[in-house]
Amino acid sequence: MKKLSALLIVIIAVFTGCTITSVDDYYNTTEKTGNNKITVTINCDTAVDYDNKIRKNGTILENYTVYLEDNSTVFDALKTACKENKIQFEYQGSDSSVYIEGIDYLYEFDCGELSGWEFSVNDEFKNVGCNNCPVKNGDKVEWLYTCDLGADIGNGYAGE
Amino acid sequence: MNTFKNLHPITLMCYFLSILTISMFSFNPVFVISGLFGAILYLLMINNKASIKTFVGYLFLFIIIAITNPLFSHNGATPLFFINDSRITLEALLYGVFLSTMIIEVMLWFRCFNLTFDNEKLMYFFGKTFPKLGLIISMALHYIPNLISEYKSILSVQKTFGGKKGIGVYIKSFSAVITQSLENSIEKSNSMSARGYGKVKRTYYSNFKFTKYDLLYLVITVVLFIMSATSIILNTAYFNFYPTIEMNSITMTSALSYIAFLLLSLLPFVFQVKEEIKWKYLVSKI
Repeated sequence: MKKLSALLIVIIAVFTGCTITSVDDYYNTTEKTGNNKITVTINCDTAVDYDNKIRKNGTILENYTVYLEDNSTVFDALKTACKENKIQFEYQGSDSSVYIEGIDYLYEFDCGELSGWEFSVNDEFKNVGCNNCPVKNGDKVEWLYTCDLGADIGNGYAGE
Repeated sequence: MNTFKNLHPITLMCYFLSILTISMFSFNPVFVISGLFGAILYLLMINNKASIKTFVGYLFLFIIIAITNPLFSHNGATPLFFINDSRITLEALLYGVFLSTMIIEVMLWFRCFNLTFDNEKLMYFFGKTFPKLGLIISMALHYIPNLISEYKSILSVQKTFGGKKGIGVYIKSFSAVITQSLENSIEKSNSMSARGYGKVKRTYYSNFKFTKYDLLYLVITVVLFIMSATSIILNTAYFNFYPTIEMNSITMTSALSYIAFLLLSLLPFVFQVKEEIKWKYLVSKI
């Protein structure tokens, strides 16, 4: 009985940290909008080239504008854009570093061992986690799918 | 009374190998459910009370795996609700249910294998060609049950006589049982090498004869296995969970293999029922 109540307390403690929202509530609530205008593009043309059975159309989101508050990051931009367009995405990790596993049902490793999502800000690829990369007003964020560790989208591995 | 257990080891080995192969490599709910159905029926047939007890444990495992998957996998086109911005999807939930059913099915078939394929059969099967492998498998299979029963008996003695109280009793008994099992295995191997195990051809206490019944069941098993394997090889029984649930429409070949696998998994049960009816009939005539 002691064990059972301890288990129950742990379960409750885990779930109090969670907020459960229904689908309609999640998509209909609008976040507080800021003044920073950021365009988000999500594209996976490389996956279409790799195997057009996986994907027929490479464009997921084209120059979509989101309005974010100050001190926002690339992750916030993606999250807001996906929420407003009802695009599925999955990420791993938390505050220290977030890694995007998949966007719109297209996941890492779907097109071979070297495939996954990478991002660039103003056509410049950054080597940091997307929640550690700040964006400012007028920035252009691009999320691109690669099948070759970045080489096919212009972010070739430089090597050391 | 003749039972499924009394069939020739080669027939039984072929049967279990084919059913486990298809259960593990067909990624299809139809196969999994029919396999589970066959395993449960057979288990209920051969040991009623003991298996019902274990089913509760399996049910617990089933629920845990089925719930865990949607919490960690957020793929899927139909969101049910959101927890902290992560979607809990119908597809992930169904995938979890499918995965746990598959795991439990394979576990139940291994249980059937353990109950049907005793040590004598195992030694018959491996003793001639791979004496060491046969010995290792036979020792490994009964290692854990042996350890548990030894542990229980030591613990009960310690609780009655031992001076220690509380958790110390458990630790003491555990270390004792480990030491004992290590000693046992050294002694066993010494004794077996002293008797010349593996040096010459083994003779057997029980003599397995390959009768025409065994041949019949072997042929049935192989034919059904090939029929159900064709759909896996040709990929006609394709099933996909993410992002939406997709299933190949049932064609002639896939329907044939579904039926073949259902028959294959029901084979031990049908055999047992047939023999039981025969036995009752013969008894009634006396």
